[in-house]
Amino acid sequence: MNIAVLIKMVPDTESKLEVSAGELNDQNFKYMVNPYDEFAVEQAVQFKEAEGGKVTLLSLFSENNSIDTDLRKMLAIGADEIIVLRQNDYRGDRPLANAKILSEAIKELDVDLILCGIQGIDYYQAATGTMVAQMLNMPNISGVTSLEFNSGTLKAKRQIEGGLQVIETSTPAVITCQKDMNKVRFPALKDIMMSKRKPFENKNVDSVDSNDVATTESSLPPARDSGEIIEGETAEEKVDKLIEKLKMEAKVI
Amino acid sequence: MTPFHDYFGISWYVYLLIWSFIAIGAHVYQVGFIVKLIRLGKNDDRFNSWKQRMKEFLTDWLGQRKVVEDKVAGYAHALIFWGFLMLVTDVIDLGTGGLFAELLGMLFLENIWNLIVDIGYLMAGIGILAALYRRLILRPEKLKNTSMEGVLILFAILGIVITAFIVEAGYMLGEENHYNSWEPIGVVFAKQMQNIDSNTLQTIIDLSYWIHMILIGGFLIEIPQTKHSHLIGTIPNVMFQDHEKMGTMLPLQVDENDIAVKTDDLDFENMTLGVNKFEDFTWRQLSDGWACTACARCQDVCPAYNSGKELNPMQIIMDVKNYGREHGNLLLAGETPEETIVDRFSPEAIWACTTCYACVNACPVHIEHVPKLTDTRRHLVMEASEFPEELQNLFNNLERNSNPWGLGAHTRADWAEGLNLKIGEPAEYLFYVGCAGSFDERNKNVSRSTAKLLKAAGVDFSILGEMEMCNGDPARRAGNEFLFQMMAEMNVDSMNSLGTLKVITACPHCFHTIGKEYEKYGGKYEVYHHSQILNELRQKEKIKINNFENKVTFHDPCYLGRIGGETEAPREALGGELIEMERSKEKSFCCGGGGARIWMEEDADKRVNEIRAKEAVNTGADCIAVGCPFCMTMMSDGLKTLGEEQRTVKDISEIMLENLEA
Repeated sequence: MNIAVLIKMVPDTESKLEVSAGELNDQNFKYMVNPYDEFAVEQAVQFKEAEGGKVTLLSLFSENNSIDTDLRKMLAIGADEIIVLRQNDYRGDRPLANAKILSEAIKELDVDLILCGIQGIDYYQAATGTMVAQMLNMPNISGVTSLEFNSGTLKAKRQIEGGLQVIETSTPAVITCQKDMNKVRFPALKDIMMSKRKPFENKNVDSVDSNDVATTESSLPPARDSGEIIEGETAEEKVDKLIEKLKMEAKVI
Repeated sequence: MTPFHDYFGISWYVYLLIWSFIAIGAHVYQVGFIVKLIRLGKNDDRFNSWKQRMKEFLTDWLGQRKVVEDKVAGYAHALIFWGFLMLVTDVIDLGTGGLFAELLGMLFLENIWNLIVDIGYLMAGIGILAALYRRLILRPEKLKNTSMEGVLILFAILGIVITAFIVEAGYMLGEENHYNSWEPIGVVFAKQMQNIDSNTLQTIIDLSYWIHMILIGGFLIEIPQTKHSHLIGTIPNVMFQDHEKMGTMLPLQVDENDIAVKTDDLDFENMTLGVNKFEDFTWRQLSDGWACTACARCQDVCPAYNSGKELNPMQIIMDVKNYGREHGNLLLAGETPEETIVDRFSPEAIWACTTCYACVNACPVHIEHVPKLTDTRRHLVMEASEFPEELQNLFNNLERNSNPWGLGAHTRADWAEGLNLKIGEPAEYLFYVGCAGSFDERNKNVSRSTAKLLKAAGVDFSILGEMEMCNGDPARRAGNEFLFQMMAEMNVDSMNSLGTLKVITACPHCFHTIGKEYEKYGGKYEVYHHSQILNELRQKEKIKINNFENKVTFHDPCYLGRIGGETEAPREALGGELIEMERSKEKSFCCGGGGARIWMEEDADKRVNEIRAKEAVNTGADCIAVGCPFCMTMMSDGLKTLGEEQRTVKDISEIMLENLEA
């Protein structure tokens, strides 16, 4: 079974966020593989180990950032090759445009299954994977927490409020992966070394027209007021003071 | 009267020859087997600095330097050891029917030789009785549940001593008695035996002689099989003891100048990562097993063992030997047994080690416990990818944000806000803050205190700011040598680009790694623990510090005291009258945080820090002074669980700043 995994490179969660004039400054961002996509890679590698075939990673990103080291780690845990589509004015918040480019690229691959994370942790739009399915005219199951493959049939489980939904579909299909679908393995050193020899291809792609909604303004959440530590000799005294404050200052009781 | 006559019509020496052939043959065969097993190990060139090695051998082996650190067992052992060295030639004499003494007689050495042997037997006898007293009457806790082997052997060698005296006395008795005053103890025995009728006397002497010879032969056969292999095993162990600085680890690969091969040039094709097979160990790691005397001193001082974890350092050493013995034939045939070294040690034991080196420091025969555990960790992380889940976060965080918590690398210098420090500029000293001092709220105050004191003294220093990374020690001690090396290489680049020569750090792990390990990665610096610099500033009165007044005890960090060899500077820097804990200085007990243990889960009923916090509380001190960010965390947590939060934990620099004269 040949599998394509869509990977989104997202800003490291610890990146410094700076906004100037309503615009997010992404100059100093470090990028990492979207954690949801890591579950997709792990799942793809598990299928490959059981069924044979090949795992191709497909990513769309801008031209100017070095993302090789982090992406290669996905090769180290067992994927076979990487294709990065480099786009001059790439933005992470245009799912429709991005899905168009990705689905065109997938058409050139011979794959039976497409996996990706349910959403990117940059804009949380949870749209691209499903749009790709639509464009390729394939069945789509989103937010899957457990996936099995048996003689041509995919059996997916989805956690929904208060219950579990089981869905079966034939391949090819597009599955978007929810967190805790599996435990992403830690590569052994020899796998890290081997990954340096696996194919890593960069391709330039042009922009496409889309009616994606545009971000009008970015801002940082307001700084929180600093907390107050209630001083007192005994626990009772502190509790009394707390109740007093909750009544008089916060007016919540 | 001698035992050298015919028995059942056949000469005594025929019997002796047959027995010697069996005993010596069995001994040599078994020792040969062990030597072949040890030679399976990898190369470790310790055949150098012979002068130093000879000196060490004379003090540590002949002089029993570390053995006598345990007063009762140590001196009992030393007496037996020296005694047997003095008497050993008597075996040749008894085996040749007195020819050896005659030969010495021709050189006029017989009398002095007799005296030496006699005193040797006496010393051994006293030592054996003391050891038996300890094992049977004193019975220290650690000797309970041990096998009877020790006691049996003591009785056997006591038998060797007593029968020797009886045979010796026999020489003096006969138709006329010739008391040889060069054998004073023999004379005492002879006086007791002189009234026995000659037939009975002959029987007693004959029996004694043969018991003596049977015991010696039996002992020869037994030596290679039990802990008494240390009679031979300690010789290479002591002679080829580690000459590297304590606590340093071996790089993945070194070039001919003993410099680590760069990560980009490592030859992974021909490299074993860590240890999982017997022959992955170096020969010197393997020889440890046969040098072990089962004295259990390592067990006594091990924080993991004493907090109830799987790990017993002595068992690890026994494991290597027993593994070799049990799978010996397979191993020598070049095959791989199904059971691996990791199976034998058990992963729980491997991950329990805090790498505090108390075991290595306690061992009288220079056994190296810790590398066996860190080497198997290397295998588990880099080869097998099987390790405690918490460590995966640690590794990812170190890779992405170069600190164990994974906090934004750009916030590394936030603690210094408002202090107006030089960042990333050349200066006389580089203040290497470390991760805890940069990101951990409690330890940020230590960094601020240190910086303030340095500024008050007018020291020219700068920090690396965002360029600083973790020194790599947590990754390394957790087995991820590759990640360590990448971090070390990047840090060395940053530090060298700044022209750094002298480094100050408040973290003993940075102190150790940058000061003693980075040299192999291209970074040679003079590295000081902040207590050393602050003490010098205090002594030279660059800063005026009053002695503290409250009750303070000092907890020596492993990587500063025992491993770092610095126990005085922190005490002098603090000033005032410290209340010392029972285990202090190089005998200090780990806080439980080393060896990346601080990042791993620890069962609530098996916490090392509680043991140490209790020891601190027992001194009655109101404040525990520390010199390490991990000790700070572990000791504070320990006090919390003990409900002793009214006592405080403070870094040396914080106490000094409080007592700084304005």
